[in-house]
Amino acid sequence: MKRNIWATFIASIFAFIFMLPLLGAIYNSLRTDNAIASGPFVWEFDRDFSHYKNAMGAAGYDFASFFQNSILISIGTVLLTTLISLPAAYSIVRLGFGGAWLLRIALGLRILPAVFFIIPFYKLFTNLTLVDTVRGLILANTFVNLTLALLIFSSAIKELPYEIEEAAHVDGAGVFRTLSSIVFPLMGPGLAAVGVLTFIFSWSDYLFAVVLSSSEATPVTVGAANFVTSYGVRWGDISAAVTLSVLPPLLFAILAQKYLVKGLSSGAIKG
Amino acid sequence: MIRQRKEKLSALALAAPLLLFLTVLVIWPVYLGVRTSLSRDLLSEFEITPAGLDNYRAVLQAPDFWSALRFTILFAIVVTIIEGILGFALALVFDRKFPGKKTLFSMVLIPIMIAPSLMAVMYRLILNENIGIIPGAIQKIGWDISIFDQRYIFFTLVALDAIQYTSFAFLLAYAALQNIPQDIYESAAIDGARYRQVVFRITIPILRPALAIVALLRLIDSFRTFDTVYILTGGGPGISTQTIGIYIYKTAFITGDFGLASAASVTLVLLLVPLMPSIIKQFRLDVK
Repeated sequence: MKRNIWATFIASIFAFIFMLPLLGAIYNSLRTDNAIASGPFVWEFDRDFSHYKNAMGAAGYDFASFFQNSILISIGTVLLTTLISLPAAYSIVRLGFGGAWLLRIALGLRILPAVFFIIPFYKLFTNLTLVDTVRGLILANTFVNLTLALLIFSSAIKELPYEIEEAAHVDGAGVFRTLSSIVFPLMGPGLAAVGVLTFIFSWSDYLFAVVLSSSEATPVTVGAANFVTSYGVRWGDISAAVTLSVLPPLLFAILAQKYLVKGLSSGAIKG
Repeated sequence: MIRQRKEKLSALALAAPLLLFLTVLVIWPVYLGVRTSLSRDLLSEFEITPAGLDNYRAVLQAPDFWSALRFTILFAIVVTIIEGILGFALALVFDRKFPGKKTLFSMVLIPIMIAPSLMAVMYRLILNENIGIIPGAIQKIGWDISIFDQRYIFFTLVALDAIQYTSFAFLLAYAALQNIPQDIYESAAIDGARYRQVVFRITIPILRPALAIVALLRLIDSFRTFDTVYILTGGGPGISTQTIGIYIYKTAFITGDFGLASAASVTLVLLLVPLMPSIIKQFRLDVK
């Protein structure tokens, strides 16, 4: 037992260091401007939560609209990624479409640096008038998340007992019917894993957002980074804004932690 | 026979959205990227003209490109080693029962859930010379160092990357540890093996393929480091922390030379392509 208290101690140190940036932001967001100006360790609680009010619009920042864009982009990406990769994974695993090489190509994409695509995407999206639109960023993020979704869905489909699908087949159900009313309802954990991971990763995108958005479709990542450069001294407001920006994926991920863990490990390591 | 053909058609129909997406957002962009790299394509000039291999010649002779590549490779290797070791060590800590395990497990996973760019903004808050708690604490101890100084900046960036990504290495190593059957440990205990012997003679050899994948994934991902470094240093001081991603981004969207930036992108991919088959093999993908 003595040894196990040590484990608690070591894990706590790691947890504290990992959370330090977030704790720092929360700490500053709750201090008054006076306290912030007086030094890093001066504590005076801001009873009005004025930094949060400012961040949400009271001070005239566009933060609320960045927030809305991030939500639309992330939800849109989750839906489009699922819609594309779930049927494809079924086709690859159960109907033998393309065999393993399609998965290999998808994995090859995971290896290619995303930065290769920023210039072609910029040109393509300019031609399609998708620059600075939420739709454009949904497409770019779907591109980013497709590989992981394909890997997770294929390993989830492989785990389903084939007998059920066979029975449906014998009963005369077609492929689409089998997929929609038998496979889909059994895919709960796989859908949750793809949902939570795709949500986090599209919420996290910075590179494509910085290239493909200028004002209308700007998400919180680019918004918060610009905030630091343009309102450099309003530390309290920045802290509140960044704390709020971190929250949605964090809450979602904590609620769906089981699926996040399983999805990340099955996407990377088999078994 | 008819049913077989019907099944083939359904297979194609189900995969069609993926194929369409790959064509429009992968194959076509790759073509566009290569074409741009062979053109004189400047933001300041309206006309785009063929340029043959001029851009490639320019990239291969650009000292900035090579120094960015060197920095990226060095950074990727150092963070992969550090995060791999720390992540594996933390996984060993979590591979036992201890008080508060569940809560601490959720807490150490938090960096995975936070966008690197937002993490970078928070780093700026805690590292700021006037309001940051880290410089504040360093001052209280009585040290006189600036963590953004040219001498320390590499270590600062490595440490910040480790705070963000050690959790990822930890999670994968921990998941792999759970797959080791308990009875191996039990029989080792019966044979009187010490803990260290168990780790080095049993755990590490069994986990080797999984750890290799963890390292490969971290290596691939740290090769594309952009957000955090760009927001923290913008590639500076000078170009000392310019990653290849920052070099390409700046060349295209700040200098305005799309042709040169595309040539750099293509060169980067050509350097990575020979590694691809062995990486893909590591994953042991199969459809059955």
